[in-house]
Amino acid sequence: MSGNANQPELLPYGKIREDLFRPLSGMTQKYFAAILIPLLIIMFGAYAWTVQLRTGMGVTGLQRPVFWGFYIVDFVFWIGISHAGTLISAILRLTDAGWRKPITRAAEAITLFALMIGGMFPIIHLGRAWYFYWLIPYPNMRLLWPNFRSPLLWDLTAIVTYMTGSAIYLYLPLIPDVAQLAEHSVPWRRKLYRMLSLGWTGSDKEWHSLERAMKLMAGIILAVAVSVHTVVAWDFSMAIAPMWHSTIFGPYFVVGAIFSGLAGLMIVMAAIRKLMGLEQYLTRHHFDNLAKLLLLMSILWLYFTFAEHLTVWYGNDPSEMAVFGARTRARFAGLFWLMVVVNFVIPFVLLGIRKLRSITSGVIASFGILLGMFLERYIIVVPTLSTTRLAAATSSSYTPSWVELAITAATFAAMIFLYLIFSKLFPIIAVWEFKPHPHEDEV
Amino acid sequence: MASLSYLLSEFRDKNAVADAIRALRAAGAGDADIDLFSEEPVEFPRGVLDRPSHMSLVSVLGAIVGGVGGTAFVWYAQTNYAVPTGGMPVFSFWGTGVITYELTMLGAVLATFGYFLWESGLIRKRDKSAPVPVVPPECICLRVRVSGDVAAPTALLRQAGAISVEKKVPA
Repeated sequence: MSGNANQPELLPYGKIREDLFRPLSGMTQKYFAAILIPLLIIMFGAYAWTVQLRTGMGVTGLQRPVFWGFYIVDFVFWIGISHAGTLISAILRLTDAGWRKPITRAAEAITLFALMIGGMFPIIHLGRAWYFYWLIPYPNMRLLWPNFRSPLLWDLTAIVTYMTGSAIYLYLPLIPDVAQLAEHSVPWRRKLYRMLSLGWTGSDKEWHSLERAMKLMAGIILAVAVSVHTVVAWDFSMAIAPMWHSTIFGPYFVVGAIFSGLAGLMIVMAAIRKLMGLEQYLTRHHFDNLAKLLLLMSILWLYFTFAEHLTVWYGNDPSEMAVFGARTRARFAGLFWLMVVVNFVIPFVLLGIRKLRSITSGVIASFGILLGMFLERYIIVVPTLSTTRLAAATSSSYTPSWVELAITAATFAAMIFLYLIFSKLFPIIAVWEFKPHPHEDEV
Repeated sequence: MASLSYLLSEFRDKNAVADAIRALRAAGAGDADIDLFSEEPVEFPRGVLDRPSHMSLVSVLGAIVGGVGGTAFVWYAQTNYAVPTGGMPVFSFWGTGVITYELTMLGAVLATFGYFLWESGLIRKRDKSAPVPVVPPECICLRVRVSGDVAAPTALLRQAGAISVEKKVPA
């Protein structure tokens, strides 16, 4: 491999610009096909939702006492994926990690889209979605009671803050790049880029302001990102329910979110690399570093999972042990142990042994982790609710209906669809950041 | 009254730009007269072309406004229609803590972004008469506002290492 391939920053700037702007132009048949398939899945998901809206929540698999199912699992899963971007990008930006440069924008875009998707689920789960605005707190004038003590309202404020911050955090470093595209030959693109660039000229005042804002935003967004998934965890742990009422749920969820987010990022980066021909920019070095982070998170995830289960087992509280038993050796045991295998055993082998560590093995491990983290959320949500505590209560099993499955599939398709649109409109790697940063020479 | 003009000079080396700025400032040019244009951020040692900023302060103020405003809003909404709480307080800081925190952060985010737009000049009315150079790749352009004779500053710029110096009059 040539030195330039190892250090893409050493490539001539003209070539970097050309390579990274090239994917924006031209619509191939492959691209249309790639757009069309997810679009069809989204439309089917939208149809499934209309069925639910017209018929009622009875079309889902939810029934007494399991009132939280796939929608809540989807919600937690996508909010977790959203941690891929802004959090990782902010950490790498604050620590000035040079290898972050080709990763940050791809990651930040994941955050925004995952939040958009995840934020839909509380509304879908409401049933009567047209009353979603009841979630918005405002002084009571119509005998509605905004319950500020409800973690669901905390979710709303946390997600609104995170989404606003993430959108701004994605937009800020995009300004210099769209300014370079402001003279685009296609009229509607020229109009769009000019509008978004806000007349950026590249003056030192603008650069200073941008860098200051980016640093501040990185710090703020880190604090927000941690709080968002903590609040999602508190949706569960504020309830005095077995295996939910736990003090470590906040950090446990944050770790799980970063873990699944990193896995999502690894898959997206590998796809971008292959489809857009960016092998020179997203090198093995980047994947190697991501794989190490993924391995670290896998170990941390195992530690939290073990700590959570050990304390329950040691406490031996009957109601908690009923759920513990359902998870580890009864109805949900298959899913539980599959989760442990794909979240820890496979990543540990594929990413921990240097000889086995490659882009392909990283992607395989990442797909496993996404499956494992989806299962983790399912195992947290369903066993607690389906294991009843009163002797007279009837327990019930929960199986998602086709409506829930279709809507879930549509969210994955939506992520692909939004990403394809975004990568056609904006350079997926920040072009200006790719140039060697002047202060890096002095270090 | 001395005629106003702009000198647009091109540099390839960051250190040469720093030398040019030092020389111009020694000759009496103020920070407001000097502007730099580049395709990437250019950083100099402290004292060359500092651009002091209040962004951090504004961010903190935004956070305070967001947090206090959010908490006050919750208090107003809760007491405006006080539902029976079974002896529990109608308004509680524990219960409101998360909302206070999130709105504190939202305040900081919005204040930072708003101030960025203001400080960078992107949403302010600009002096359209000042020429904006087209920066060639790998170049740094220095724009200096000069009132009166341009011979001396032109010589300074060339001496510092400018590869070209061009005089422009305000449009």
